Amino acid sequence: MAAVEQIGGRAAAPRAPFWTVTRLRVAAVLVIFALWEVAGASGLFYRGVIPSSALVAKAFAGLLGSADFWFHAGVTGFEVLVAFAIGGLAGAAFGLLLGVNRYTGAVLEPFLHYLAPTPKIVFLPILLILFGVGVGSKISLGAISCFFPMALSVAAGVRQVNPVFLRVSRTFNLTRAQTVRMVYVPALVPPLASGLRIGLGVAIVGCLMSEIKLSRMGLGFSAMEYYRVFDIPSMLAVLIFIFLCAALGNMAIDRFVRLPGPQDRVRRAR
Amino acid sequence: MTPALSIQNVAKTFSTAQGDVRALDHVSIDIRAGEFVSVIGPSGCGKSTLMNIVGGLVDDYEGEVHLDGALVRGCQKQIGVVFQEESTFPWRTAIDNVAFPMEAAGLPREARMARARELLELVGLNGFENRFPSELSGGMRQRIAIARTLAFQPRILLMDEPFAALDEQTRLLLGDKVLQIQQELNQTTLLITHNIAEAVQLSDRVLIMSFRPGRIKRVIDIDLPRPRSSKLMGGEKFGQYVAAIWEDLREEASKGLQDMERVRAGA
Ligand SMILES: Nc1ncnc2c1ncn2[C@@H]1O[C@H](COP(=O)(O)OP(=O)(O)OP(=O)(O)O)[C@@H](O)[C@H]1O
Ligand SMILES: [Mg+2]
Repeated sequence: MAAVEQIGGRAAAPRAPFWTVTRLRVAAVLVIFALWEVAGASGLFYRGVIPSSALVAKAFAGLLGSADFWFHAGVTGFEVLVAFAIGGLAGAAFGLLLGVNRYTGAVLEPFLHYLAPTPKIVFLPILLILFGVGVGSKISLGAISCFFPMALSVAAGVRQVNPVFLRVSRTFNLTRAQTVRMVYVPALVPPLASGLRIGLGVAIVGCLMSEIKLSRMGLGFSAMEYYRVFDIPSMLAVLIFIFLCAALGNMAIDRFVRLPGPQDRVRRAR
Repeated sequence: MTPALSIQNVAKTFSTAQGDVRALDHVSIDIRAGEFVSVIGPSGCGKSTLMNIVGGLVDDYEGEVHLDGALVRGCQKQIGVVFQEESTFPWRTAIDNVAFPMEAAGLPREARMARARELLELVGLNGFENRFPSELSGGMRQRIAIARTLAFQPRILLMDEPFAALDEQTRLLLGDKVLQIQQELNQTTLLITHNIAEAVQLSDRVLIMSFRPGRIKRVIDIDLPRPRSSKLMGGEKFGQYVAAIWEDLREEASKGLQDMERVRAGA
C-alpha cells in the first residue's frame, strides 16, 4: 500500500521505494523512542512525567490483563461506534439533501460552514439537560461532532459529480435508481471515505471529552483517574491504546471504503 | 424513403444575464440509414447545442426531431451519444465501461462481457480489457467511450468532436477506425467536428454551419470512393473539397474570432 501512495497509484510499482518508505517509517518510530528515553533520563523534566518506555510497556500489559480496563474500553467503544453510526448516517443523508437540492443547499450550507469549526464541547451543557449524565450525552456529543465533516464532504461530493457522467446515463436511458447506484454511489466514495475518516476522529474526540468532563466510566474517565493518582505510565498506556484503536479504525475505512483502481492489480500481483 | 433521422426547423435561444443568445436558427437535416454526415462550423456556432437537442438532453427548443418518420422528444433508445468531454468512468475498467449500457439494460453478465470484449477489439483495444482509464492514453479513453456507446446498439450514432482533444496522428488513425466500424456496422452517424480534413475523410455529406445564429450555410456531397482511409489525404480531389469547405468556413470563423475579441475587450 505504501508503494501505491508513493507513486500515485500507477500500475507498474517498482519494489524498491516500498522498502525505502517502510524503513524510513521504522526509523522515525525508533528516533522518537530514543528521544523519549533520552528526555526521560536527562532529568530535565519533573520526576515521573516522562517514564521509561519499559515502564509504559509494563503498564500497558497490566491494563490488557485487567477486567476493569476492558469494561471502560467497552463503554467507550460502544459510545464511539453508536455516535459514529448515527452522526455518519445523519451527516451523509443531510449532505445528500444539500448537494442534490440547490435551494436547501443555498439556505442551509452557510450555517453548516459556521458551525463546523465550532468546538462541539460547547453543546455539552444542553446535551446533559437533554440526555442526562449517562452514555446518552456522550454519544450525542460524538454524533454531533461526526455529523458536520460528514455532511460537508458529502454535500461537496454530490456537487462535484462530473455532469458529463449524468448526461451519459441519461442517453443510456438509466432509471433514477440506476443512476444513483451506478453513477452517484461510486462517484461519492472518495468524499464519503474522507468524511468517514474525519468523522471517526472527531466522534472519538467528542466521546472522550465528555467522559473526561463528566463521567465515571470509559477510557477518558480512566485516563483522568490515572492522572489524579499520578500513575503516568498507566495514563500513557490508555492514551496509546486509544491511539491504536483510532489508527485501526482509519485503516479499516481506507481498506473498505474505496473504489477499485489500478492499485488492486499491484496488490494481486504481489 | 423516410430518412432515419430528420431534424426539422430546430431552433434554440438561450436567455442569459447579458440577453438572449440565438444559438440555433431553423436547422433542418435529413440523414438516410447508413449515411455518415458531418456538421462543421466555427466554435460557438451551436454544434453541441444541436447534438444535445437530437440526443434528447435539451427540453425546450423549437422545431421537431423525427426518427423513421415518428416525432420524438427526450432521450431515445435508438440514439447513442459520444460526448465532447472525457466521459469514461474512472472506477470501471475498460471492459466494465463498455459493458455499462448493457448492464443498465439488464443483460446477463456473461453476455455483456462477451459483447464488450468484441467491441473493445473493434476499436483496437484488445488486451486492455482490465485497465482503468487512468492507465490509458486520451485516445484510448475516447475509443472506450465510442465502444461504450456502440454497446448501446444505437441506430443513430451522434459524436460531438470525439477527437478534439487528440493529437493529429492519433486523430487520423482513429478516423480510420471509425470508418472501418461505420463500414462493418453500416452505422448511421452524425459527426460534429471543426476539423475540415476529418469531415472530408469520413463523410458522405458535410454540412457547414454559420456563426450565430447557427444555420446550415451549405451542404457539400463528398464524392470519394469507399472504402476510404486517411491515405486519401494526399489526393487532388480531397484537396479540392478541403479548399471548398474552407472557402465557406473562413468567413464564419473570422466572425467567430471577431466576436471572441469583442468579448475579450469587454464590449
Ligand atoms: N447553457 C447555456 N446557456 C447560455 N448560453 C449557452 C448555453 N450553452 C451554449 N450557449 C451558447 O450557445 C452558443 C453555442 O454553443 P455550443 O456549445 O453549441 O457551441 P459549439 O458549436 O459546440 O462550440 P465548440 O466548437 O466550441 O464546442 C454559444 O455562443 C454559447 O455561448
Ligand atoms: Mg461543442
